[in-house]
Amino acid sequence: MKNDDKIKILVIEDDPVITEFLSTGLKYEGYEVLPRITGKSGLDAWQQIRVDLIILDVMLPDIDGFEVCRYIRDHGSELPILMLTVRKEVSDRVKGLDSGADDYLTKPFSFEELLARIRALLRRGGKVTENSRLRVENLELDLETREVSRSGERVALTPTEFGLLELFMRYPHRVFTRETLLNRVLGYDFDGGTNIVDVHISHLRNKLGDRPPHLIRTIYAVGYAFYPEETSG
Amino acid sequence: MRFWEKLSLRARLGLLYAALLAISVVVVGGYSYWNIWQLFIRNKSCHIRARAKPVIEHWLRDNGLAKADSSLSPLKSQTALLLARDLTSRDTVAIIVNRKGDIIANGKRLPEEPVAPAPDEQYLRRALSGENEVTYRGQVKGKPVLVMLIPLRPHPASARVFGVVQMSTTLADIKAILFRHGAMLVSLMAIILILGITTGFWLIGISLRDLQGLLASCNQISRGNFSKVVSVKNRHDEIGQLALSFNHMLEKLEAAFASQRRFVANAAHELMTPLTGLRGSLEVLLRGAQDDPAAIARLSRGMYKEVNRLIRLCEQLLGLSRLENTVNVCKQPLVLSEFFDDFIARARLLAGERSVVLQPGVDARISADPDLLQQVLLNLLSNALRYSATETLIVISWKLLPQEVEIRVSDQGQGIDAEILPHIFEPFYQGKSVVVSGEKGIGLGLSLAKAMVEAHQGTIRITSEPGEGTTVYFTLPLQ
Repeated sequence: MKNDDKIKILVIEDDPVITEFLSTGLKYEGYEVLPRITGKSGLDAWQQIRVDLIILDVMLPDIDGFEVCRYIRDHGSELPILMLTVRKEVSDRVKGLDSGADDYLTKPFSFEELLARIRALLRRGGKVTENSRLRVENLELDLETREVSRSGERVALTPTEFGLLELFMRYPHRVFTRETLLNRVLGYDFDGGTNIVDVHISHLRNKLGDRPPHLIRTIYAVGYAFYPEETSG
Repeated sequence: MRFWEKLSLRARLGLLYAALLAISVVVVGGYSYWNIWQLFIRNKSCHIRARAKPVIEHWLRDNGLAKADSSLSPLKSQTALLLARDLTSRDTVAIIVNRKGDIIANGKRLPEEPVAPAPDEQYLRRALSGENEVTYRGQVKGKPVLVMLIPLRPHPASARVFGVVQMSTTLADIKAILFRHGAMLVSLMAIILILGITTGFWLIGISLRDLQGLLASCNQISRGNFSKVVSVKNRHDEIGQLALSFNHMLEKLEAAFASQRRFVANAAHELMTPLTGLRGSLEVLLRGAQDDPAAIARLSRGMYKEVNRLIRLCEQLLGLSRLENTVNVCKQPLVLSEFFDDFIARARLLAGERSVVLQPGVDARISADPDLLQQVLLNLLSNALRYSATETLIVISWKLLPQEVEIRVSDQGQGIDAEILPHIFEPFYQGKSVVVSGEKGIGLGLSLAKAMVEAHQGTIRITSEPGEGTTVYFTLPLQ
């Protein structure tokens, strides 16, 4: 699914708060982030380090984002570039795409959308041949048909259960709190206690025939984590 | 009146014009008709009197009546008949009346000769008392006749009147001529009226055309479209002038609205950056960063900063809108030296490693809102601090001018490029200067300073030399 070494994203953005959440969020999703606050330092980083994608703000203190983009394109690089801007005018969007940006996102953007765009750009650039199937041991999950099978046998899951299993299989060994699972699978604005997560997890375990020692383990006082079978013993 | 008010301006003007035209045509036509009538009558009577005069003189002489004493004897019917016959013709008939008012001779003999009307007592008395030119209109069998009375006297200078000749002639011929004339006048009047009213309506339409354009334009504006400009056909008349000044006003309005829109767009733009930070941070936290205490700490610090930035922005926006109303300016007498001693203490706290120096001028009293004045100075100071390196000097000074005091804040910072300088007071306008210390501003500081100074009827200007430093000057009126 992923290359052994992490995907490197160069973030050129002058606002410290935006840089902070981009770094934290992207690192959490498994990317490596190189933050730079000026166009100049961003270009230096691009020349010195092999990165896989650039997130570029239009308004930079020194050179503006369009110029940074044009400079990179003029030097023959086909690196995927995602531009961030506040302006909504069509002319700006056209200008951004003309200068060679691959995609465009208007502030304030949703982080989830940013992730989707990043995945799309990486796929298009051939950096990642993201498999539409996640496979861990005898467990197989098809992201397109949303079908799950264990040892070749189909298991029927509700969308919530499917979401939980996808998350676990994407990030094996990561410990998720009930809060995080709730937010990521049922949405940020879901009203209700975190107990609902336990209910869904228990249904999921039953359907998968998951018995102790569990694939999906309860981490006492924290939440849940997914351990593939080879490490479970 | 109701009906009149409901009419369009064009119809009203047209109707007024038509009425005036009709009245003047009728008056002129009527007057000329009456005039011609009078002229005909005068002409006829003169003609008949002129014809009668030599006949009467002959008759007086032939009958020995021209002597002064002979007139004392009563006029004989026989003699009178001679005169009546001589004066009667195909269209005129004469009768002779004696002093007592009795008809003593009638000239009518032949059937084709007209019938004489009975003498009118009143006119007859006037003629008998010696009036020469008694002419009036009478009727015979319903037909109009002209009657002339000629007093008979021995000789023209004599005061004695011994009889009166009444000559009457028909007016039917004149009536016929006048009827034709009148018919012609009426048809001419009708033609003039029709032509006049048509061209009048057409002309009014032409001159009101710009007004119609104006109306259409107004309707467009009320729908929010400012681009519709009235096309002006004639720029010299009042309506053309109105359309021109309307267009001018439209341009101004459009510019005002555009600047308002720009302001709102810029304000929204400024709101977007902190909101992006807030939204992104929250989302990242919710997606799982909340499981890591270190990430929570970092992200929440950032969010706190963004919220403060939003609050600052809102405060400045409120400040700007409050200054649009001068009621919010509370002026009070201030002594310059006292005010600046207080201020400089605060300024030094903010300055850090840069030194703030006060160079006082001649002390004076001014009338100003101390809070606003302090706000102006703080805004200027924070700009100076933001773009100056450490160990540079910021000088605050004042100088008395005849009517006002000029206050200066100068720094030794990086300065402002010449192409940016003219826009520096525009809201949200920010140059590309790199912030040396502190955070990047919002772009309202100088706009606010300008609004505050102007609320005091002062002026503000800025000079800058890139690399050397910047000086802001503003004036406040003396008390």
